Amino acid sequence: MAESAEILQGTLELLILRTLALQPMHGLGVSDRIKQVTHGVFVVKPGSLFPALHRLEQAGAIEGRWGESENKRRAKYYRLTRAGRVRLASEKRNWERVFGAVNLLLEAEL
Amino acid sequence: MRRVANIFRVLFQKNKLDEDLDAELQFYYAMLVDRYVGAGMEREQARRAARLEMGRIETIKENTREIRTGAGLETVMQDFRYAVRTLRKYPAFSAIAILTLALGLGVNTAIFSIVDAVLLKPLPYERPERLALVWSDFEKTAAYRAPTSATILSEIKHRSSLLEDVAAIWPTVGTFIGEEDAEQIRVGQVTTNFFTTLGARPLLGRGFVAEEEHGGRAAMILTDRLWRRRFGGDPNILGKKVPFQGADYTVVGVLAPHFRLVLPASIASDVEAFTPFPNDIYKGPRTLYFLRLVARMKPGVRAEQAQREMTEIARQIRETYSEYHAENLKLSIVSMHRDAVRDIRPALIALFAGAGFVMLICCVNVANLLLARASERRKEVALRSAIGASRTRILRQLLTEGAMICAIAGTIGLTIGWGALRGLPRLQPEALARGGEIGLNWTVLVFVAAVSIGSVLLFGLVPSIESAKWDLIATLREAGKTSRTPVRRGVRAALIVAEVTFGFILVVGAGLMMRTLEKIEQVRPGFESDRVLTFSMNIPFGRFKSDEAIYSFVREWDSAIAALPGVAAVGAASHLPLDNYPNWYSPFRPEGVSETQGAALLADYRSVTPGFFQAMGTRLIEGRFFDETDRAGARQVVIVDDLLASTIADSRSAIGKRIESEHITDRGFTPVWSEVVGVVEHVRVHSLSKKIRPEIYIPFEQSPRSPLSYAVYARVDPLTLAGPIRDLLRQRNRSVAISKVRPMEEYVEQAEAPASFTALMAGIFGGLALLLAAIGIYGVTYCTVSRRMPEMGIRMALGASAGDVKRMVLKEGLTLTALGLIFGIGGALAISRQLQDLIYGISTVDPVTYIAAILVIPAAALIGCWKPASKAAGANPVDVIRIE
Repeated sequence: MAESAEILQGTLELLILRTLALQPMHGLGVSDRIKQVTHGVFVVKPGSLFPALHRLEQAGAIEGRWGESENKRRAKYYRLTRAGRVRLASEKRNWERVFGAVNLLLEAEL
Repeated sequence: MRRVANIFRVLFQKNKLDEDLDAELQFYYAMLVDRYVGAGMEREQARRAARLEMGRIETIKENTREIRTGAGLETVMQDFRYAVRTLRKYPAFSAIAILTLALGLGVNTAIFSIVDAVLLKPLPYERPERLALVWSDFEKTAAYRAPTSATILSEIKHRSSLLEDVAAIWPTVGTFIGEEDAEQIRVGQVTTNFFTTLGARPLLGRGFVAEEEHGGRAAMILTDRLWRRRFGGDPNILGKKVPFQGADYTVVGVLAPHFRLVLPASIASDVEAFTPFPNDIYKGPRTLYFLRLVARMKPGVRAEQAQREMTEIARQIRETYSEYHAENLKLSIVSMHRDAVRDIRPALIALFAGAGFVMLICCVNVANLLLARASERRKEVALRSAIGASRTRILRQLLTEGAMICAIAGTIGLTIGWGALRGLPRLQPEALARGGEIGLNWTVLVFVAAVSIGSVLLFGLVPSIESAKWDLIATLREAGKTSRTPVRRGVRAALIVAEVTFGFILVVGAGLMMRTLEKIEQVRPGFESDRVLTFSMNIPFGRFKSDEAIYSFVREWDSAIAALPGVAAVGAASHLPLDNYPNWYSPFRPEGVSETQGAALLADYRSVTPGFFQAMGTRLIEGRFFDETDRAGARQVVIVDDLLASTIADSRSAIGKRIESEHITDRGFTPVWSEVVGVVEHVRVHSLSKKIRPEIYIPFEQSPRSPLSYAVYARVDPLTLAGPIRDLLRQRNRSVAISKVRPMEEYVEQAEAPASFTALMAGIFGGLALLLAAIGIYGVTYCTVSRRMPEMGIRMALGASAGDVKRMVLKEGLTLTALGLIFGIGGALAISRQLQDLIYGISTVDPVTYIAAILVIPAAALIGCWKPASKAAGANPVDVIRIE
């Protein structure tokens, strides 16, 4: 298993939005999915997952609804809202810009 | 908006959200456990692993909660700080807006507190909405709302099916007899069902019971005040016997401290004790109208139903008894609350409306200020939205600002209102039947909050919303240039017109009330109140050996007072003018008029000692005053007033005419033929503004009554005589008590009180209206002029003189004022009919008032326009060119 990395707050929100863009998921699903897709680089613990989920819900980017899980338990499923999609797109662009800039900086011959 | 809603959710649904979070975490935990179990762990082991992976649950919860509330509160705090900053950045604007609103709110707080206590609050009894008063109406003599007789009471009781019960009260006076501390008090003689009907239970002991009717057992119920004052709040008072009116009364109950006898203002509200009627009232003459009836309607009975039944009962009574048929008795039943406040209601409603107009002027001022500020801040707002502030965010900031203005103004306003209310008790007329209940309470606070929020929303936010709509690009492009906004100028013109209109109506209202007060003060009431001391003296007739002993006691007492140094004249009457002691009025019959016709003629009766007219300064028109010869057993004589003289004698002299008048003899109230020996001027005994009934005076010894009210005309300050008179009485007779020692002027002031109260309040409103309108006009004109300075500069560059520019600004202001005046005159005329009940001695379209208002309003407008006009005249063409 690869070493897990620290996640910046803004990055975590971007990851959550990206993950929920596929389909509505509950909290554990989100953290499983992030771990799986990033090959275990990012491990999201509940201590940062829940505040982030609620912050996004508060901002209207996602909304939670109670439903039934695959093993018949009551679980809160989060879904991306319209505003969330807009935000995902803009954060994605932003990220690409910042990432590109950082890359340029790293690769530049100083 | 969403965040605001969120805050509410967080604050009010905190538990719900916490439960949600708990369930969410619970689910997470359960899934982890399942997963570890699926991987082959023991359940206990799996649980530990899951807990380890999750970390401290409480920390997660706390962090999450913080995010939820934090986000909402933080924006609110930001808006709040921003609002404080802007308010401080424009201190003049803020101060004027806040003070204006605070003044308006203060006035409204004060008036609404009174309206609430007097008109809105239910009476302090059980199910007060079912309480009503029953009055006799005699159309022929225009005697409405008259008391009823005992026969009528018992007929109503037996015939009514819609009333649960009917009780009666007769307010009178009585004396506690003691060795050292004889004391005369107001006492309410009642039927034994009085308290059950009223729905008021004594706090200690019980109400009256049927066996106590008609003096079956002498029982007494004390008010809390009397219990504390005379009996030191003795907790064992129940069952004790107290010497009262020549008998021993057993105290059976003490009323609660908040108990109040809320009856029409003309009936004593200062009754301190209650006793059942000591004699069988049903055995008295059928035409003795002295009972005030309190009725409790059955649940669900409507006022009209009750009135219909009462009309029918009156018909049956007329058929049964010839006396009532002759007098054409009618009965009316009215809600107790409405009846109690009927005198003050028109004044309060008018004042409440006046306060509303003041508030409107305030709102117009604030609207104008906000509008002016909004235009100044256009650039700022445009800029903020350019750098990404959402429209709702900007609106929310404006709203926060408005809310702050409201909150500060509301607090100051409440303080002003509260201060005014504390000053009020000294001005309060007795007609404020429930004056004692006035105070700040939740209803008042809610009202003030609603008015202040409403006014800021209505007049403050509308301009703000409009400003949020402004086109960003256009605004920025236009920045720094003279704005071409004819619409906005139209709005401002409308504001000036509105202010002048409301101001004019208020000034006219104030003028009418002040002129009314002036007229009332000019009235000659039929006596001189100057330097007259009055007091009431109860003479326990039963304690004297004979009638002659009573008469000689009174005679000697009169001459003893007359002999005091500083006394010019002294006399007594059964009733003082303008006192609220229950009236004595009955029919009289001139010679040659048949008995049935005679029943239609009513007069106020007064039993007087010889010196009364001289002591009161009542003028003799013809004939003579009473003297020492008008004794018991001598020829029966009366003195009448000029009103009565003209009914019985047309234009000829009334002296020597005979009338059948009601005298008090051994057999009670009896009609007696007597001769008119004098005619005096009419005395306004009930109200300064009305001549109600003609008057008949009978010599005390031919119609003895107790208590007697004394009038002492003094050569010195009348109050200095109070001590010597008390000493004199103590030397002579210890079982006689005097009370209500006060100058006659106090009664006159009290009678003037409703008019002076209304005039004072209306005057304050009028003054405020003028001040606020001047400020408002100044503000509007100043803003307009500031924005038109370039125009002024150009005009002057093109050859206009400073005087021309000044005249132009003044002319614009005065044109709008003239327009407002026209609306104002229209408005004032439209509402003048509503003021009919409040004015006296002048017309509702009193020319003096209208002319004064037409002069004073433009003066205020001129003052408001003057400075802006001077500013305009100071425009410098060079500056204009530089700015552009």
